[in-house]
Amino acid sequence: MQKNVRSYVTTGATAGALPGSAVQAGELTEKMSIRNVSFFYGQFEALKSISVPLYDRKVTAFIGPSGCGKSTLLRILNRIYDLYPKQRASGEVLLDGQNILEPGIDLNLLRAKVGMVFQKPTPFPLTIYDNIAFGIRLYERLPRDEMDGRVEQALRRAALWNEVKDKLNQSGLSLSGGQQQRLCIARAIAVNPSVLLMDEPASALDPISTSKIEELIDELKSEYCICIVTHNMQQAARASDFTAFMYMGELIEHGVTEDLFTTPKQKRTEEYITGRFG
Amino acid sequence: MNLYARRRLTSRIALGFSMAAAAFGLFWLVAILWTLFYNGLTALGADIFTLSTPPPGIAGGLLNAIYGSFIMTLLATLIGTPIGIMAGTYLAEYSRGNVLGQTIRFINDILLSAPSIIIGLFIYGVMVVPMGHFSAWAGAVALSVIVIPVVVRTTEDMLNLVPASLREAAAALGAPRWKVIVLIAYRAARSGMITGVLLAVARISGETAPLLFTSLSNQFWSTDMNAPMANLPVVIFRFALSPYQDWQDLAWAGALLITVTILIINITARMLAGLGSKGR
Repeated sequence: MQKNVRSYVTTGATAGALPGSAVQAGELTEKMSIRNVSFFYGQFEALKSISVPLYDRKVTAFIGPSGCGKSTLLRILNRIYDLYPKQRASGEVLLDGQNILEPGIDLNLLRAKVGMVFQKPTPFPLTIYDNIAFGIRLYERLPRDEMDGRVEQALRRAALWNEVKDKLNQSGLSLSGGQQQRLCIARAIAVNPSVLLMDEPASALDPISTSKIEELIDELKSEYCICIVTHNMQQAARASDFTAFMYMGELIEHGVTEDLFTTPKQKRTEEYITGRFG
Repeated sequence: MNLYARRRLTSRIALGFSMAAAAFGLFWLVAILWTLFYNGLTALGADIFTLSTPPPGIAGGLLNAIYGSFIMTLLATLIGTPIGIMAGTYLAEYSRGNVLGQTIRFINDILLSAPSIIIGLFIYGVMVVPMGHFSAWAGAVALSVIVIPVVVRTTEDMLNLVPASLREAAAALGAPRWKVIVLIAYRAARSGMITGVLLAVARISGETAPLLFTSLSNQFWSTDMNAPMANLPVVIFRFALSPYQDWQDLAWAGALLITVTILIINITARMLAGLGSKGR
């Protein structure tokens, strides 16, 4: 099955050759390559030799039932799992050709390149302005007016500027759930990453906020390699170009979203997307 | 008697007992405060804040004791707070339940409930005896030993309340560990940590036993940190036991001052804690 995916990429170097209109014309470049990655929580093997490409300027969605390992996979890509001593990953994850699982990788630099948005909005207990400026200050020392510009730019790209421009000095916690999540997205893109990881970014939000987040993903994908984990298959179908279906720590199928949802190649994929289990 | 009437009766009896118990407890509290205010206010005058402790029969105040208490409490807080916060940070952020962390936590809990007279004796042994004299420094250090475990405990508890997701979010932006702790975790736990420090201050501002063996007291105005220094609790202790009416009055005034100070600190701490929970 992974052969199939590979053949898409190798035979048709341009997206035009790919079946499915979800993939627009343009070169497909692998921004991140996950190769034979396994993951362990202590003794428990949560991921079993996963291989999947993540393309630049495309949205890749990971779907699958709870506990299938999709969030775990995401947490490998910026090595956030490193915060916890008993978790470890094996295999290779290449970012622009460099293996980020190697020891000696500068984790802070990696996380500057690979931004992350979490399931629950996690604004810092700081002002809206400082929520954005926090990340920028980690890497750059800017004079106040330049910083103002960067903060505004990030908030505009996250479609939040108009709602918060008059209250930048209020606490980020004073915003609604949907606004908080867009603040977190703004915060993540303010440091100019090249990859954006989103772990069920809309699952804690109401339908209107959800659709705003989805629109945002659609706009942001022109600049980033986006990787989104979702429980919501409609969301995966709407928002992504590629979809990977995971089950029990294994990658069952990966392909162009439209194909995967209309003509799944694996029986378990079909059963899952038609709601027969999971 | 039907079922509901019986239940109502049981409820009223239970209510009656709990109200009586509450009233009993409150009665003593009010009685103490009443006696304190009654005796303290009559003794309280401008002299209290302008004159030092007098010999019996001569007009005087508590200026030297107020100054001594203030300076030693301040120093103890300045010594104890950073140590306490750093140790609490280690326990909450770095120890991850290892043996060292568990040992420190256990010892800290013992220290938290250690009788303060033991701490006074300890400092007497390690500072007063080698130096050869009582001193304000020894008093401040003894009080700081009481501050440390309180601050360690509240810092650890408050940091443990900060959700892991907040730390992950900061780390995911590429913030190094110390920045995650100092800029984000401390910020989220700030009001609780300040409350802890204030409660420690309230605790030491009334401690007598540790000062009895360390700074002792001083009948005269003194700002020399290497000499015995007057302080409210020890002055109260001595003057209250004296046979002289004017000394006893000064003791009442001192007791009132301490009580009001602790009350103000506690109210401030409560307000801060309230603000903290609203902001979250």
